[in-house]
Amino acid sequence: MHRALISLCSVSLLLSLTSCHKQSASKSGDAAPVDYMAIQKKAELFVPAVGKTGGEIILSTFSDPKSFNPITATETSTSEFTQYMYEGLVRINGVSRLPEPSLARSWDISADGLTWTFHLRPGILWSDSVPITAADVEFTFNQLIYNNDINPCSSRDIFLINNKPLNVAALDSATVQFKLPVPFAPFLRSLSQEILPHHIWAPIVKKKTFAQALGIRTNPDSMVVSGPFCLQSYISSQKVVFKRNPHYWQKDSTGNQLPYLDRVIYSIVQDQNAELLAFKRGDIDFLAAKGEDFPGLKKDEANGSFTVFRLGPNTGANFLFFNQNTGRDSATGKPFVDSVKLSWFRNVTFRKAMAYALDKESMIRIVMNGLGYPQWSPMTPAEGYFYNPSVTTYLYNIKEAKRLLAEAGFFDKNNDSILEDKEGHPLEFSFCTNSGNNVRLKIAEIIRKDLESIGCKIHFQQLEFNSIIAKISNKPYEWDAVLLGLTGGSEPHFGRNVWHSSGNLHMWFPSQSKPSSTWETSIDSIFDAGVVELDVVKRKALYDQWQSSAADNVPLIYTVLAEQIYCINNRIKNINPSPNGGILHNIERLYVETGAHAR
Amino acid sequence: MHGEILRRLAIAIPQLLIMTFITFLLIDLAPGDILAQYRFDPRISQKTIKALEDKYHFDKPVFVQYGYWLVNFCKGDLGYSFSRNAPVTAVILERVGNTFLLGIFALVFTWAIAIPLGVFAAVRQYSWTDRIMSFISYFGMSLPSFFLALLLMYLIYLASGIPLIGSLPISGMVSAGFDQFPWHRKILDIGAHLMLPTIVLTVGALASLQRIARGNMLEELRKNYITTARAKGLPENRVVYGHALRNAINPLITLFGFSFSDLLSGAALLEIIINWPGLGSCMLAAVRSQDTFLVMGSMLMGGGMLVLGNLLADVLLIISDPRVRS
Repeated sequence: MHRALISLCSVSLLLSLTSCHKQSASKSGDAAPVDYMAIQKKAELFVPAVGKTGGEIILSTFSDPKSFNPITATETSTSEFTQYMYEGLVRINGVSRLPEPSLARSWDISADGLTWTFHLRPGILWSDSVPITAADVEFTFNQLIYNNDINPCSSRDIFLINNKPLNVAALDSATVQFKLPVPFAPFLRSLSQEILPHHIWAPIVKKKTFAQALGIRTNPDSMVVSGPFCLQSYISSQKVVFKRNPHYWQKDSTGNQLPYLDRVIYSIVQDQNAELLAFKRGDIDFLAAKGEDFPGLKKDEANGSFTVFRLGPNTGANFLFFNQNTGRDSATGKPFVDSVKLSWFRNVTFRKAMAYALDKESMIRIVMNGLGYPQWSPMTPAEGYFYNPSVTTYLYNIKEAKRLLAEAGFFDKNNDSILEDKEGHPLEFSFCTNSGNNVRLKIAEIIRKDLESIGCKIHFQQLEFNSIIAKISNKPYEWDAVLLGLTGGSEPHFGRNVWHSSGNLHMWFPSQSKPSSTWETSIDSIFDAGVVELDVVKRKALYDQWQSSAADNVPLIYTVLAEQIYCINNRIKNINPSPNGGILHNIERLYVETGAHAR
Repeated sequence: MHGEILRRLAIAIPQLLIMTFITFLLIDLAPGDILAQYRFDPRISQKTIKALEDKYHFDKPVFVQYGYWLVNFCKGDLGYSFSRNAPVTAVILERVGNTFLLGIFALVFTWAIAIPLGVFAAVRQYSWTDRIMSFISYFGMSLPSFFLALLLMYLIYLASGIPLIGSLPISGMVSAGFDQFPWHRKILDIGAHLMLPTIVLTVGALASLQRIARGNMLEELRKNYITTARAKGLPENRVVYGHALRNAINPLITLFGFSFSDLLSGAALLEIIINWPGLGSCMLAAVRSQDTFLVMGSMLMGGGMLVLGNLLADVLLIISDPRVRS
């Protein structure tokens, strides 16, 4: 009865939503922002239908997998594939982005937060029908992650807390205990770390050849997995094919084995135009679309073969930042940044003026075809729980920008339409961004125009991504202003390298021995406190404070976030679109309407 | 003739050495390195990056790095591709066949169509067929291959209801269910996927080759010996195809040698757009991410093919032209 009510509610919600869509589609070029909070609420209430086993879904990706090894991999192109193959003790819920039980059914935490005991689900099996036990967990940590013979890897970086490893011990076949040197708040989330089978890899580790294991040329049949899908085959630059794992631990509400789909096929498509055409032809089932393609897709949606979803702001920030490095070259004694420029860039009033001068609306209109959102906080709404929506905003306001610049002592004294500072130095600096990212290039072009219109003289330059990284992370730090982007994550602590003043990615002034300003000191202490605070509400308060302080002091001036636009073929059922998790987060429950496809 | 071939091969060695060293130097001179993407990842520690630098000698001077590469090369080891996470030899072997397949198809079609068309146009100079062919030639020459590829893809998409044309694959080399096809369907599948890129490459190369063939043929037809042959009363077919064509073909043979090297380096842009898993797109990606060893490996392939192509052209010329033989 209760369930029926909920599904009735969701049906009526769906109806009102679709009618909404129809209205907005009828007005041409209408791109009113979607109420993504409401979509998220609805996604949290979603009750999956009982599906039919069989069929396949065809997805696309831009890059080849570089390996299928979740331990040594550092790149997203690998985790995109390994996420189907391996599970950890916990998994990150696709809708809430919070940790939930996976291979572990439950866990206990000691009062001091240092000892965590995990209880594995009974009767779970690897894809070769060998039981998954605590020995596998112990093996994964002690012999893979902490094994120095294996290439340096990011999972080791995560699980070294204050440079000390965790103590991991299997108490019995279904219980595993972790002892931490100090409390580590992101610990539970980190345990989505994939567990590998001891019985397969222990001999390989002994032979010291694990670094080459699970490579792109390894025989797929030897890859024993715990996730919903096993690798079936990989054809370089063409296809990655997964088949269902018959021993996956999840079952649906009526006891049917999950996943429903027989196969997940990735088509590797390097060109976005080709990808769009392939989706429209029905060669692939899912498309993450760009704003400029939205009107065309919306029009074709009426043919009834696919549905377009708008799910609010995406992750993946683009931000402008200035060089605030007060250091000197130890060899020549020369300051890295000219002292005049340094005095501008370190002045928060100057940075705020720059933030007000950026025309976010134009960026959204021109670059994203009207489908985008301004970003104010270092976290994005799609990153879930820790996002702080109420921080200082800098809506486009030329007057305010000019007022702040005047307050900081910038006036056009010689009427050449370039501002001069108190000592009469013209406000002139270089600005660069990386080539190869069209969206970012267009944003940079708008920023240049905006800054010139308030009286800056800009020397704009496009460099290869690698060159920019070399410039901002190495001596002699020869740059003034840069537009770059980072993809974020749900866990703020993993941005420590960017936000802690000692971090090597603290881009505006990397690797400081002690913080150079009071606000950096306070952000440092937030990150130091946040990592040991186990109370999730207090933690959220801390990271809210960080986001406010970041927005008040604008070391990174955020620009705009593109809308998440996803299109999926209507033959795929059980879709639960969520702004936090997208469309494919519940792939083990997606199924294909029978008779709906002929391929 | 054997002596000549050996001499050519001996010259190729310093040529390849200089070429590889310049390539190496250029990659090194560009700021940044392949590890940049790791440096810009908040999850990866400084220590990790340092360890990778040590392992691949990125911290050494360029001459030392080149030395390491050369020594390994002599041992038959082309190094490790960072961006592909596999030995360079494996990456190249995996792709060289695909590029070669596409290249051979394009080469055969281009030459088989262009030469007869060129001769035909020359024999009927200034006729309306010649004019139409000239127009088509210039059109094909001026259209960039990536644009033609996109255009054809879109046309095939629009033709989706029409049998055969509508179901032509527009990207990739194999279909989604390829691994489950029987062998004969696999061949048909690859053949169908070859259609679009072959048409694009053929149209692009056809024009210039057809113009050159026409030009050469016209030049020969104006020569005195042709007048003599005609005056002697030889049949026109014999004059054109037996004498003029035989001489007109010689310069084209040199051209053929050059186009042989294009087989492996030809169509990077096209490969990206139609998603052909070839060497060109792989090389472009390697250059952009400064994946030194992979660039070196591909350069070596391209350079080797150029040397081989020139050699092949010379040998063919010796066979076809008695004047070179002495």
